[in-house]
Amino acid sequence: MITEKMRDVAKDLLTKGEVNMVIGWEKGTFWYNSTPVFITKAEDVERLVFDEFCTNNLAKYLLDYKTAEGKVAIFVKGCDARAVNRLMQDQQVQRDKVYLLGIPCGGMKEAAPGTQPQATEGLPLVEKCQNCTSPNPVVFDVLLGDQVSVRDTQNRFAAVEKLEALGTDEKYAYWGEMFDKCIRCYACRNVCPACSCRECAFDGNGLNWLGKQNNLQENQMFNITRAMHVAGRCIECGECERVCPMDLPLMAINRKVIKDLNELFGAYEAGMDVENRPPLGQFKLEDPEKFM
Amino acid sequence: MSLDTEAVQQQPATAAQPEGAPQEWEPRIVGFACNWCTYAGADLAGLSRLQYPPSIRLIRVPCSGRVNPQFVIRAFQRGADGVLVAGCHPGDCHYSTGNYFTRRRFLLMQNMLQYMGMDPRRFQARWISGSEGPKFQQVITQMTEDIKALGPNRKMRDVE
Amino acid sequence: MKAIAKTQISELLNQVAREYNVLVPVAGADKYAPYTPGIELKLNSRTLLPPKDVFFPQTEKMYKFSTDGMEGSLDSLLTTPKPQLLFGIRPCDVKSIHCLDHVFLSKGFVDEFYAAKRDNTFLISIGCNGPAESTCFCQSMGINPQDTDEVDVHLFDLGSQYGVVPKSAKGEAFVAKYAALFAETTEEVPAVAEFTLNLELDGVSEKLAQMFEHPLWEEVSRKCIGCGACTYLCPTCHCFDVSARVAGTQGFRFRCWDSCMFSDYTRMAGGHNPRPSKKERVRNRFLHKLQYFPERYGDSLCTGCGRCLSKCPVNMDITNIIKQVREVDLV
Repeated sequence: MITEKMRDVAKDLLTKGEVNMVIGWEKGTFWYNSTPVFITKAEDVERLVFDEFCTNNLAKYLLDYKTAEGKVAIFVKGCDARAVNRLMQDQQVQRDKVYLLGIPCGGMKEAAPGTQPQATEGLPLVEKCQNCTSPNPVVFDVLLGDQVSVRDTQNRFAAVEKLEALGTDEKYAYWGEMFDKCIRCYACRNVCPACSCRECAFDGNGLNWLGKQNNLQENQMFNITRAMHVAGRCIECGECERVCPMDLPLMAINRKVIKDLNELFGAYEAGMDVENRPPLGQFKLEDPEKFM
Repeated sequence: MSLDTEAVQQQPATAAQPEGAPQEWEPRIVGFACNWCTYAGADLAGLSRLQYPPSIRLIRVPCSGRVNPQFVIRAFQRGADGVLVAGCHPGDCHYSTGNYFTRRRFLLMQNMLQYMGMDPRRFQARWISGSEGPKFQQVITQMTEDIKALGPNRKMRDVE
Repeated sequence: MKAIAKTQISELLNQVAREYNVLVPVAGADKYAPYTPGIELKLNSRTLLPPKDVFFPQTEKMYKFSTDGMEGSLDSLLTTPKPQLLFGIRPCDVKSIHCLDHVFLSKGFVDEFYAAKRDNTFLISIGCNGPAESTCFCQSMGINPQDTDEVDVHLFDLGSQYGVVPKSAKGEAFVAKYAALFAETTEEVPAVAEFTLNLELDGVSEKLAQMFEHPLWEEVSRKCIGCGACTYLCPTCHCFDVSARVAGTQGFRFRCWDSCMFSDYTRMAGGHNPRPSKKERVRNRFLHKLQYFPERYGDSLCTGCGRCLSKCPVNMDITNIIKQVREVDLV
């Protein structure tokens, strides 16, 4: 059981004083919720769990503790590990300040709200895990559990291709309908491990890049800018789409960017390592120049 | 940001144009011009008395790499019918490499705008050096013609 | 009791739509939207988006202004809407409107934008015979899920039909006017099904008054990501910001929802922020719901609708926080 190993290793790290905190998951309100938890005392390690509902990407929480004394241990699935790499690449997290406990991940599941507890085998994978390209952590200090095989990701760009095939006005109408729904709660931004600016251009800092009105134009400004800002740095963890209370297809925007970047400037997967710079942070002399 | 409104808004709304007189409509194109090349190129076009349509409103930026996607969306929001980003030719950047980043960023941005349902012809990027007054004239003339053919832009726009 | 068959609801809505702008819970968008014949209604549960925007829109223009040389002009953009009918709100949301009334209409201050819409709106509620969603806990917040008095007409869910009970003079007139659609029934209102989420609210407000500096807030706020989903989905959250849009010589001033979970919510000119981290923001949100509002108006600002619980990205659970507050040992 991964959960047992988690508790043991967390207890060990906290007891020896190697880390001051362990970030993991605990059971939430319902049997189909697992939610982030922050363990600081060895006696609390029993709260830790790893099951098919640990959908949250924990890496972003490292920003809360980047100036804290000592080390923080964090459990990382494949996507969490890529997020940690991304944050390290942006100098947001220092490698020697974190202890990474890798967990190979078979994909997270979802159950219909209100249903009775049931065997998790029969439950569907959550949307964000269906086209996961890296279920195994790409960076870790210890690995709990055995590596898992990568699922078929042929349909990774299916939603994008479907939208690309629409006519210009159809596309505009589709996205207009989507962005009209946006309530601008900024959950997508706040949960995103690529959104690590200390101060966001969209917060009221007097720059007024974004008016506070909720209307289609301001929502377009927000959503397109968000996508362009994380371009080349999106690790496809799908958290933005998962947390959106209005169920906007945000990954169909992020994957469009990934698809284009791959086609234009060569294959790149963000967060696989810290050496390879994101495509918009580098260039080649022979880059395509088709519209200059 | 002084880009705010006045420059793009002083003209009467395009919707007010009477029907049947489309030839009189002049598009409004916002051009982000790099200080070292394109702005000088525009200057040269003027000094050389080269005629080009009055549709372009130039905004001088230190480098085409200074322009970010927000500028482009804001221009469309505030009433631009087209947006042009222009800077030094590759290899000529005053800051050595700024325009190489521009090239990547705006190729991606044009795809993104297309994906969002904007006609990609409304957003262009060009290399225009300080000695290319005639190229500046030709780019503005061509883009104005293209956008005239497309008609006024209503997408992303939040001014009347 | 009078009753109307559920299959007759569209007929009722068609008829009242001649008199009112009818707003109904719509299935796909999961919010209250104008009724059109054939639209798919969501009558089995609450909507995801609360009805607060009917009275208090997310963005509302207040006045416009323009200058001409040294002359200036100012015009109010306050409009009185056509009489509207809000159909199908749940007792939790009725309670939330009651809370908004406190804020916008009481204590000697009347918000004319809110009042204009509120006075013009006829309310028809539908009772729930139990928790409509797994996240419902209205009963624990002192709300009767089946019945409410603060509407014009209330509908009891009787299975295949709705029991129709007028709750105001306007409601009486309404029931009389559409009497042809209503038949007499002897059917009884079923017993309320058991709620899965239950909690005890007694003494929480008083206890919280002593817990401003308690370490619990540091603890519970850790997982909050600081988004505004909870506040924007909350039927009672009513904070707003006033801002302006100026273009050349003209512009307008508007108000729009704001969220106490955002860092710029309390940021002052000059940059000081008295709520610098999520600990202070989370604390404020829960103290406002459970202490400040009850102290000022005598009502809890949480109605137990469960929207925040269902959509919070990190499962911040107000029922769990209340339980933790109750477990705290104050020495």
